[in-house]
Amino acid sequence: MIAIVETAVTLARLYGALGLAFAVAFVLLGIQRVDPSARGASWGFRVAVIPGVVLLWPLLALRWLRGRQTPVERNAHRAAATGGAR
Amino acid sequence: MSVSYKAVQWNRQKLVYDAVLLAALGTYLVGFHQLAPRLDPNVEPMNLRMRAFGSAAFLLLHVVLSIGPLCRIDRRFLPLLYNRRHMGVVLCGLALYHADLALTWYHAYGNLEPVVSLFVSNPAVGSVARFPFEWLGAGALAILVLMAATSHDFWLANLTAPTWKALHMGVYAAYALLVGHVALGALQTNTHPGLTAGVVLGALWILGVHLVAAHRERAADTPATAGADGWVEVCAVGEIPEDRARVVFAGGERIAVFRYDGRLSALSAVCQHQNGPLGEGRIVDGLVTCPWHGFQYRPDCGAAPEPFTEKLPTFDLALRQGRVWVNPRPHPPGTPVEPLPVPGAPGGEAA
Ligand code: HEM
Ligand code: FES
Repeated sequence: MIAIVETAVTLARLYGALGLAFAVAFVLLGIQRVDPSARGASWGFRVAVIPGVVLLWPLLALRWLRGRQTPVERNAHRAAATGGAR
Repeated sequence: MSVSYKAVQWNRQKLVYDAVLLAALGTYLVGFHQLAPRLDPNVEPMNLRMRAFGSAAFLLLHVVLSIGPLCRIDRRFLPLLYNRRHMGVVLCGLALYHADLALTWYHAYGNLEPVVSLFVSNPAVGSVARFPFEWLGAGALAILVLMAATSHDFWLANLTAPTWKALHMGVYAAYALLVGHVALGALQTNTHPGLTAGVVLGALWILGVHLVAAHRERAADTPATAGADGWVEVCAVGEIPEDRARVVFAGGERIAVFRYDGRLSALSAVCQHQNGPLGEGRIVDGLVTCPWHGFQYRPDCGAAPEPFTEKLPTFDLALRQGRVWVNPRPHPPGTPVEPLPVPGAPGGEAA
C-alpha cells in the first residue's frame, strides 16, 4: 500500500514538474501561436494560465506541435450549418 | 475573443462583487472564531481554523451551486452569476488552506510524507465510523483545483465552451464527495449535531432549486413541430416584445428570434462565451447582449462587433398570416440575413 501510494505521488510530481517546465516555455513562446488573442497579452495573464497549463499540458503541447489554433465549438446548429464538416 | 487577454478583467461591477464577497468571508471567518469555541470549549485552535476555512468553502460551494438555478428561476439573481468564477477561485483558495492545515496537523509528524500519509493511514473503507473521509475531501479538492486553474477565458476559448462546461460540471461530483467528507468527518470528530443537520438541509436546498429550474428548462427545450416544408412556427409577431426574443427549440438547439427597430432576426441562441442563454438576452445599443456576461452579437449576421471574433449561426425568417416562422436549417456562423420587417411597426413595413 505505502509503495503504491509513494509511486503514485512520485508520478504525479513528475507530471507536474514536466508541466511546469512546459508551462514556462508555453506562456513565453507558444501561447500566441496557439491562440491569436494571446498576442501581446500581459504578464499577469501569462502567469494566470500557468496552473491550468501545468495540469493540461499534454493537450497544449500537441496543439503547439501540430501548429493548430484555438478550436471552434461544435453543436447541432454549427454542424448543420457547415454540412457536418469543418 | 480577440483583443488581448487580461490577467483579470476587473471592472467596477466586478470590483464591488469581489469586495462584497471578501467582506462576507472575513465576517464569517472572524465570527466562526468567536462563536465556535463557545459551542465547543475544548476545541484546539488548529482545529478551529481548519473548521472555519473548511466550512467557509463548503458554504460558498452552496452559493456557487445555487446561482445557476436561481438565475433560471428569477432574472434578478443574474448579477450574482456575472462573476461567479471569482467565487470559485476564492472557494478553491479556502479549501486549499483547509487541506494544508489538515495535512500539517494530522499528517506531518510521522516518518511518511504528509501526502503519502494521507492515503495510507486510516484505510477502514468498509466502516462508516472510521471511513477515510479525508480521501473524499482530497478528491473534491482535486476537482476544485482543476476548475479554478481553468477558469480564465483563455480556457473557455481553447477548450471550447461545451468541453469547458462539461469539465466544470465536475463541481457536482465535488459537492457529492464533500457531503460525504463533511458528514463522515463530522461523525468521526464528533462535532456539533447541528453540522449534520446543516449538511442535510443544504443538500435539500441544492436539490430543490435544481429541480425547480430543470422543470422550467424542460418546457423551453421541447422541440417545436415543423410544418410540411420543414419550417417551424415561432409565435404571433405581437408576442415578441421590443428588444427581446422568443425562443424555439429546432435543429437540435435553441433559436432566438429578436425584435428590434421594427425588424426581426434569428440567431442560434447559444452564446459562444460560456454557452449562456442568449435568447434571454436583450438588444442593447442595437446588439444582442448575453444575459450572463454581456458578450454582444449583431442581430442581422450573428457576428460579434469588431474587434471580437465570435460568430453565431443565423436563420431565415418568414411571416405567414401574422405568425413568425423560422427555417431551422442554419446558415454558417456570421452569415448576414436580411431582417424581416414587422408590418405596421415604426421602422418596419406599412401593414
Ligand atoms: C486533501 C483534502 C482535505 C483534507 C485532508 C481534509 C481534512 C479534514 C479534516 C481532518 C476534517 C476534520 C476537522 C475537525 O473537525 O477537526 C475536515 C472537516 C471538514 N472539511 Fe475537509 N479536508 C479536505 C478537503 C476539504 C474540502 C475541499 C472542503 C470544502 C470545500 C472541506 C470541507 C470541510 C468541512 C466543511 C469540514 C467540517 C468542518 C467542521 O467540522 O466544522 N474539506 N476536513
Ligand atoms: S455566456 Fe458569458 S457572455 Fe454569454
